[in-house]
Amino acid sequence: MADYAPVDLTAEGQVEFELNGRKVTAPAGTMLVDAAFAHGVEVPIFCYEPRLGPPVGACRMCLVEVEGMRGLQTACSTPVQPDMVVRTTSELAKDGQDGVLEFLLENHPLDCPVCDKGGECPLQDRTFRFGPGKTRFVEPKRHFPKPLDLSSLIAIDRERCIQCWRCVRFSQDVAEDKLLVMEDRGAGSVVATLTGDQYVGRFTGNVIDLCPVGALTSIPYRFRARPWDIRNTPSVCGHCPCGCNVELTEREGAVQRVTGRPDPNYAVEEGWLSDLCRFAYAGNDGPDRLRAPAIRDEGRVKEAQLDEAVDAAALVLGRGGKVGILVGPRATVEEGFLAQELARAALPGALVQRLGIPGAGLEAIRSQPAAQLGDIDGADLVVVVGGDPGEQQGIVELRVRKARRRGATVVTVGPRPHGLEGLGTAVRSEPGRLAAALEALELPAAERMIVLWDEADLAAEPDAAGALARLAGERGARQIELGLDVNGAGLRALGMGATEVLDAARRGEIDTLLTIHADPLDGPGGPEWGWALGRVRARVAIASFASTLTESSTVTIPASTHYETEGVYVSMNGRAQRLRPVTAGPEASAPGWEILIALMHRLGAPPPYRTAAATFAAAAAARPALAGLDYDALGVLGAPVAGVAPVSPNGVNGPREPAGTGLPLVTTTRMFGGADAYRAEALAWVRTGAELVLNPAEGARLGLADGARARLRSPFGECALPVRLDPAHPAGAAFATTGVPEAGVERLLPADRGPVRVEIEVVG
Amino acid sequence: MTVEEIRAHIDPIRHEFAEARSLILPALKFAQTEKGHLTREDLEAVGEATGFSAAYVESVASFYDRLYLRPTGERVVSVCVTLSCMLRGADELLEHVCEREGLPHDGGTSEDGRITVQEVQCLGYCDRAPCVQVDAEETRGPLSLDDADALLEELRSSPRPERLWR
Ligand code: FES
Ligand code: FES
Repeated sequence: MADYAPVDLTAEGQVEFELNGRKVTAPAGTMLVDAAFAHGVEVPIFCYEPRLGPPVGACRMCLVEVEGMRGLQTACSTPVQPDMVVRTTSELAKDGQDGVLEFLLENHPLDCPVCDKGGECPLQDRTFRFGPGKTRFVEPKRHFPKPLDLSSLIAIDRERCIQCWRCVRFSQDVAEDKLLVMEDRGAGSVVATLTGDQYVGRFTGNVIDLCPVGALTSIPYRFRARPWDIRNTPSVCGHCPCGCNVELTEREGAVQRVTGRPDPNYAVEEGWLSDLCRFAYAGNDGPDRLRAPAIRDEGRVKEAQLDEAVDAAALVLGRGGKVGILVGPRATVEEGFLAQELARAALPGALVQRLGIPGAGLEAIRSQPAAQLGDIDGADLVVVVGGDPGEQQGIVELRVRKARRRGATVVTVGPRPHGLEGLGTAVRSEPGRLAAALEALELPAAERMIVLWDEADLAAEPDAAGALARLAGERGARQIELGLDVNGAGLRALGMGATEVLDAARRGEIDTLLTIHADPLDGPGGPEWGWALGRVRARVAIASFASTLTESSTVTIPASTHYETEGVYVSMNGRAQRLRPVTAGPEASAPGWEILIALMHRLGAPPPYRTAAATFAAAAAARPALAGLDYDALGVLGAPVAGVAPVSPNGVNGPREPAGTGLPLVTTTRMFGGADAYRAEALAWVRTGAELVLNPAEGARLGLADGARARLRSPFGECALPVRLDPAHPAGAAFATTGVPEAGVERLLPADRGPVRVEIEVVG
Repeated sequence: MTVEEIRAHIDPIRHEFAEARSLILPALKFAQTEKGHLTREDLEAVGEATGFSAAYVESVASFYDRLYLRPTGERVVSVCVTLSCMLRGADELLEHVCEREGLPHDGGTSEDGRITVQEVQCLGYCDRAPCVQVDAEETRGPLSLDDADALLEELRSSPRPERLWR
């Protein structure tokens, strides 16, 4: 984990001081440890972690000698002063550091070959580099029952704990879930939860990364590997559109662990991950993973070799008739671009579209100056419009909480109650009346205002998007899109629209459909798609997981997941970042972009490049929104894309007025409710099902009690859900959870996720 | 104890504390008067009344020797085990008392519910080490093993307290 805060040695207001006999400078107020590190001097630390807020000086590891001050000082909590004379390696300082380490190891069991952190453990490293080399303690060490489960994901080995408070501070001050505390005192102090309850939250896994010893470890990873037989690769999370930077651990060809980066990306996630990001990897090898290509011939399914499947696909696509290509939200920029190239060069007249929200009415707000997630920290006014960021774009919540702690005012406007509402002023808008709420919004004066807006909510209400754009323009605010699709922004940057394939298929104009990581039947508008696809003659699916679609496709080609492929994702707020493969995936699978290149070869239009890097370069040269981006220069931290993605002219929105009769439907996806969480065994215990939430008054009106089962019907489809009555949810709307595979709330929605009304009745 | 009762108790004294979290202590102390110890529900109620998480409230409660997270007997004997007392035989004293009451070596409550023994950190009576405190009222020391026997005798023969000291 990041230990020292980055220091800008060229900033204004530097003070000069002496460090180990050298004259150096650092910005006034910098903590000594950080200033020293910036000048190449490492002062050992344990409890210090700049991202946790002000230092607490709990472990005393960072003792240094400061001339004129009696006794040794903790460098983590001493800011640099002009003309200060600091010695970090003098005999006195060394003696202090030795003493602290000797003391910390008094009870630490030194079971390094057993401990999961052995080999990655700051305590071990610092003992070697700074420790005394021997100890005077000969007494037996303490023993505790081990390990105890803090939750089903995190184990605690109490005798290893050095009480640095990092995990407790994370829970109290960063995630603000307030669940972890230090209980009892003195020698009896232990990290604990309320009378042993599970530590359940959305960001709990970060305490594993934070623990500088092996006291907190990941249960799914425990004893899976040792640091010397794993390979770590920096990549990007593909489970939500935030684009969090992760490190992937591989052993024996499988992803074994996902952690935050040792050098965090401060512009995005700052090293914190949501538990979905961290633990969903287990689903990568889940039972629904496609492992073998399949060719369907007159109702009979034949398993095939990869090559045969690509041949068959080329045959199907190339036999004339109009081809529709549907690119799903998980496809990389390269895959999207190759799909377009395939259509252009080999399949004349083919339509290439993405599966997602059309959002033609969103240009106004999208074209306002964009901010990076990291900019939220420094805002003094954060306005959240629509959505449920804590659940849908998890990491955003930590950023907003941090801004609030630093004094920012938080205002939320939207139809559904959510976790960020409690951070400031909440304005509840009627469903479908966001524009009115925005027009009437009164905001305090602010110099640095940031607007976070939900893609789906605003796409459904273009007037609101316009109103918000005006507001942002007047106030000089920067905006961040709370997108819903992992690489939706990347596909938009390629100029892909989102409705035409469906329209054409409905009209019976599509003969063959090629889907790339796209799963229209199980998503919003499933029934609509089902009807439209009934008119399509053949389907070729390039997909990683089995779905209703792949079960009936003419040809199915297993594709790599985001853990297994190279390429670029553009995060919801426009940051292009590179995926790096950490494993090869099932033997008979291949990265989607390779499959597409192979298809182009078979169809007689070989592209003049054969790597992901070259594909990206071609895309950047051809698409203005990607101009200036260089694959290599994206490095491990990525870069913001140049401008707003132009929206293809065919990207018209759905009906403005909600379709249907009854109550307007307001949907949210829960962090542990989507298909990714369902795939991962490790998250089974926190899985949230789908439910219909109603205000008790609505419940009474409809004759629905808490726990009853209700049938919801919209013009597009129907589904049945358990009912929960909750006074925090306003009357006049029905709230339902999307994403849960077996619940199928998506069936109620039109394909463009536009507004709808639902009729509700009791089942049975 | 209910949130309302705790609120009614702390609202009038709220102004005495510069920091809201300082209210947790008086609230806990008050909550404990009902049963003589704090249940999970009490911790949750105190949390709600003071605006802190129940886990945080428990961490405060677990820090103080006179807040009990488990039921106690009628009288509580606290044996100091900090350095001065330890050097003057606190360990032996504790062991002796526990043995006499049939308790595990780190204390507990006697079977008849009359006496709870616990170890505590420094009682501020170092000059009279080793020492014990009875309930919240009286600190005695230096205490020989015979003195301890006499003390336990005395506590057992005294009438059951009408109301627990807390
Ligand atoms: S790192 Fe400075 S006291 Fe812990
Ligand atoms: S050490 Fe026992 S009273 Fe101070």
